[in-house]
This record gives sequence, structure tokens and C-alpha cells, in this order.
Amino acid sequence: MTLSLSRREILSAGAMAGAAMLCPQLALAGTGDADWTLGVADVEDDLAPAAMERIHGRAPAGLAGTLYRNGPAKFRRGGTSAGHWFDGDGLMRAFRVSPDGTASLAARFADTPKRRQEARLGRMVVPGFGTNAGAGAVLGGPDDANPANTSVIAAGGELLALWEAGSAVRMDPETLATRGMKTWRSDLAQMPFLAHPRIEPDGRIWNLGLSGGSALVWRIGADGALQAAQTIKLPRSSYIHDFTATARHLVIVLQPWIQDKFSLPFVDSLSWRPDQGTQVLVIDKDDLTKRRLYELPAFSFFHLGDAWEEADGTIRFDGCVEDNPSFGMTSARAMIQGTYVRAPMPQLAMIALHPAGRATLTPARIAAEFPRTDPRFAGTARTRTVHVGHYGGARPLAQSIGVWDWARGRDDAHDFGARQLVEEFVFVPRAGGAAEMDGYLLGTTLNLAARATELHVFDARQVARGPLCTWRAAAALPVSFHGTWLAG
Amino acid sequence: MTLRPTTLRQIALLSCAFAITVPLAIAPARAADAVAAVAAPAAGTAAGSATLEVKFSGIEAPTGAVLFAVYDNEAAYAADGHAVREAMAPVKDGAAALSFAGLAPGHYAIKAFHDIDGDGKMGTNPFGMPTEPFAFSNDAKGNMGPAVWADARFAVGAGTTVQTITIR
Repeated sequence: MTLSLSRREILSAGAMAGAAMLCPQLALAGTGDADWTLGVADVEDDLAPAAMERIHGRAPAGLAGTLYRNGPAKFRRGGTSAGHWFDGDGLMRAFRVSPDGTASLAARFADTPKRRQEARLGRMVVPGFGTNAGAGAVLGGPDDANPANTSVIAAGGELLALWEAGSAVRMDPETLATRGMKTWRSDLAQMPFLAHPRIEPDGRIWNLGLSGGSALVWRIGADGALQAAQTIKLPRSSYIHDFTATARHLVIVLQPWIQDKFSLPFVDSLSWRPDQGTQVLVIDKDDLTKRRLYELPAFSFFHLGDAWEEADGTIRFDGCVEDNPSFGMTSARAMIQGTYVRAPMPQLAMIALHPAGRATLTPARIAAEFPRTDPRFAGTARTRTVHVGHYGGARPLAQSIGVWDWARGRDDAHDFGARQLVEEFVFVPRAGGAAEMDGYLLGTTLNLAARATELHVFDARQVARGPLCTWRAAAALPVSFHGTWLAG
Repeated sequence: MTLRPTTLRQIALLSCAFAITVPLAIAPARAADAVAAVAAPAAGTAAGSATLEVKFSGIEAPTGAVLFAVYDNEAAYAADGHAVREAMAPVKDGAAALSFAGLAPGHYAIKAFHDIDGDGKMGTNPFGMPTEPFAFSNDAKGNMGPAVWADARFAVGAGTTVQTITIR
């Protein structure tokens, strides 16, 4: 099912955002009345570690570690507001599961120059993806606007809070204290680093940093040390939030959402040009000058799954594709004002790049976002994709999770119901297991009825049976974007 | 002194399109000439009675020197055009300073950067973002570009004027 976005809806949302900028009093301290707006509410302070209440089941034996999750959690100050869901201050959450089956939650804001500047002024002034600069904003470089709010990985013994248009931000895995910007080499300070690095099973990290039609290809060792950084040219200046990789190739999907002008905020510099189709650039990891380009009908996207290559050279990967980018252009702006503007639903699809040069896109015919896979299979053949789903009610955000089986064409899903906002779930291997999806799904929801954040564990092969264990926090945290599991 | 201007394209290419670029470069040979003192007034510039003492504070890296240019009008400042003085002040104990005599009283503004690696150029990353600290007189801040003349200009009268700049 595809929901169309009417021109009237776009205009009303645009007018609303515009009005809010002109008349700050319209940017209310809270948000609208709808219950889902708890998912984009503000958090005022860091959360000291506190026990979560186990409200269902029990933790599987042998499961111990920390689920780190990152996402925007402060959007408003002094009657002013960020203009977009993607522009709030990053709040790093640590959900710790102990060997005795108890769980706790701590959360700390990334202590960024952006957050300091806005706290000092008592207003939201720093420009972002969909936010205009306010009076008094001072920016000496990209990292002065860095909200460190999109994702998190562990590298070199520390956490890296990731954005996409500036540096990774270093944080202490224990205390979540901010240590500063990550500069891998002095001449690479302030270089962009996407929130979606691709991590090989042995821990080597590949990533991109984008600037129009140029990309820096980052290669970082499992020890967190820089191995290489090389600039390449891209065929077009697409908006790139994520890319993917096989064991041997980088796969860069170039949607026809193209930066073709200078305009603020950033999202307004992008034009949707479906007539230009979507391109897929495949680059040899060992020689970045070796490349192939494929053509597909136009689609928009934020997130992809890991890719793999078959014996005949066919490359396959999945992604969550949209008919057009109106979620990012319009809906995610309106969300911050408490308004739900329908946008095309993200749909799970498999893309195949055939050796002869033909490319195909096959939809799974389910709504899906936040795809995750078994990280032990990154770059090699797999059949399953973890996702959130069930969009399309009278509110934004997902209400179910599932594991799509590409071999059987079947979804193993659990619906949390209309009163839960469902966030990304990550796969956690079972100790001693090796087969794909032999393990657990860990993730969080915001329970609107209980007004509390919950942590859930599922058997990754029996999702429809519901959670094995659920813990509830004392706090309600806004919906986050991406996370990572660190065992131990 | 060569100043590469901020181009619209450079700015537009930035993912968030708000960065500053004030690449300021002194060719190493000329930088060496400028060490420890005062580049002589350019031909045609009338010597004056004023002395300007420029002090840089807040320097974090212990190496290199602060390279800077002094302008006496808005057009030259904005266009990275003719500077009435360009100089290089070695960094010592977290500070750097230079004194210029013989300036005409009037309004001036300064663009400066800390050349940490001593290559005579303002370091930039592969996408053109400054990687060495920079500053403007009055500690004026730029927004999507260098600080503007109106914010950076200061008066130099007869006698000695001290301008202290924090290198961020």
C-alpha cells in the first residue's frame, strides 16, 4: 500500500513550519495533543543509572551486555524549536543487561559545541538538516553544528556517537561522558563521517563522508586505528544517508534526491528528480578506481541492509525504499510541531545487480524501516532482515517488529499495538550459536499508555511469540534512531 | 600573501552548508622573511605615527607561529586584497605577539591563523574545512565565512594600541 501525500498536506505542513519560524511562540514548549508526540518530547537532563522494572518474562541465560542507543532528545529552548526531527541534541542511552537478569538505564547528552551554544543562549539557533540558523548562531566549522544524534558504534575501546555531516564524537562506554571530537588524523579534522559505517565480521570498518559529488572513503581497523582515507568522485550529488558493502565491494546507492543549489536549511538544497532514476555505484574495496554503475527506476531511501556477492558476480542487498523523499522533506519537520503529515511508507525491497549490467528491484510487499542483519554475515549471503513495521495509522512511527525471510517470502512479526512507538531492534548472537539469526533481538519501545520506555528481548527465530522478557524504565525517552550491542 | 576566497560552491558542497573557510596562506619563503618582525610598509603606504601591538592568546598547540594580515579598509579585508602588514609571530609558551610601528592612525582589521605545522599555509581537510585554529581582530566571529569588517575593525590612534586576539 502506498499512501499519497497530497499537495495540500505538504503546503499546510510547510506553512506551519514557516509560521513557527516567524512566530516563535507557535513552537510550543511541548508538542501537540496527540499521544505520539511523547516520542518527540524534550529531555531536560541526563539520566543517572537506574534499575528498570522487569514486567514480563525473564532474560535468557547468558545474555549480558549493553544496548547503546542514540537519538535526538532536545528540540526546544526558550520558545524556539529545531525545524526537523533529525536536528535535536543526541542523547546516548545505555540499557545494561546483567548476567543475573536485571536491567538498568542511564542516558547522557553528547556534550557538543552545538548544545553548549544553545544552552548558553537559551534558544535553538544552530542550523541543521532541516533547521535554519537563528540569530546569534556562531559556526566555525561543521562540528559546531554537530548534534551527535544519529547512531553509535564501539571502536578502539570507546563509543563513537555518529552524525553524518561532521566528526564522530567520542564517549566513555562506562560513564557516557563526552571526550571530544574524533580526529583520526589531523588533516581529517571536521571531515564528515556517516552514521552508517559498514563493519566486516572481523571488525574492519568502512565508511563514507560526503560533500556534494565527492566522498571520502574511510577504512578503519578493528582496533579503531585509521588504515586509509581516500577521496573519490561520485557521478551525482545525491543525498546519501547510508551505503552498503559486500566482502569485496562498496555499494553506493545514488537516489535522485540531488543537491543542486545552495539553500538553507540543508534539506532545501535537495531536489527530487525522479526522471533521473536511481543509480548504484559499485567500487572495488582494493582499488577505488575500479567501478561499475547500474541504473534503476527512481526511489528514495534512508537505510540499506548488508550486501553480498554470488558466485556468478551478482550483488544483492535489501533496503527500505520510498516512492519519494517527502518523509524527510516534510513529515519529519511537521513531527516536531506535533503534526502528522502522511508520506509514502518505506517498503522492504531486494535489489540485484547482475553481471551483465542489468539491475532489478523486487519488493517484499511489507512496510519496513530500520533494517538490521546478523552482523556475523555482513558481506556474505544471508536470508533474514530485522525491521520495524506497521506504519500507516493516524500517526507517524512504527508499531511492530519483524524478521523477513527472503528465502520463504515470509515475515515473523510481533505487533506491539497502537499505544507503542517501536524503535530499531538489533540482533544479538546467542553464545555458542553460529547459524544466521541464532540469537536474540534487543530493542526498545516507548509505551504511550504507561508513558515509559521499555526494553524487550525476543528469540530472533520466534518473534511472533512475543517478547521473552520486557523491562520498563521510570522515564519516557523520545524515539531514538540507531543502536549497537556490546556484549560483556 | 594569497588568500583563497570562500566560494559559494565550497560552501554549497558542505553537507550542512554552514562552514567557514578563511584559507590564508603565506608562501614559506615569504613567511620566513616576515619572521620576527614587521613586514615593511608596502610601497606607497605612508608611514604614520601609530604603533600597533598584536597579541595572540589561547594558543593550545606549542608549535609553529601565528600568521596574520592587517588590513586598513573594508574592500581589501573582504576580498583578501592588499594588506598593510603581513606577519608571522612565533608561538612561545602559549602566546605570540608582534608590534608594528609607523602605522597611520585609522581603522584596521586582522585575519589570523595558527600555523601549527609550520608549512606556511592554513591547513584544510580534503573538503576545504580549516584544520588549524583561526581568528579575527576583536575576536569577531564569522558565520558561514570570515568575520565581517564591521565586527573585526578597531581603531588605532596616535601612540600605542594593543589588540589581543584569542586563537580558537
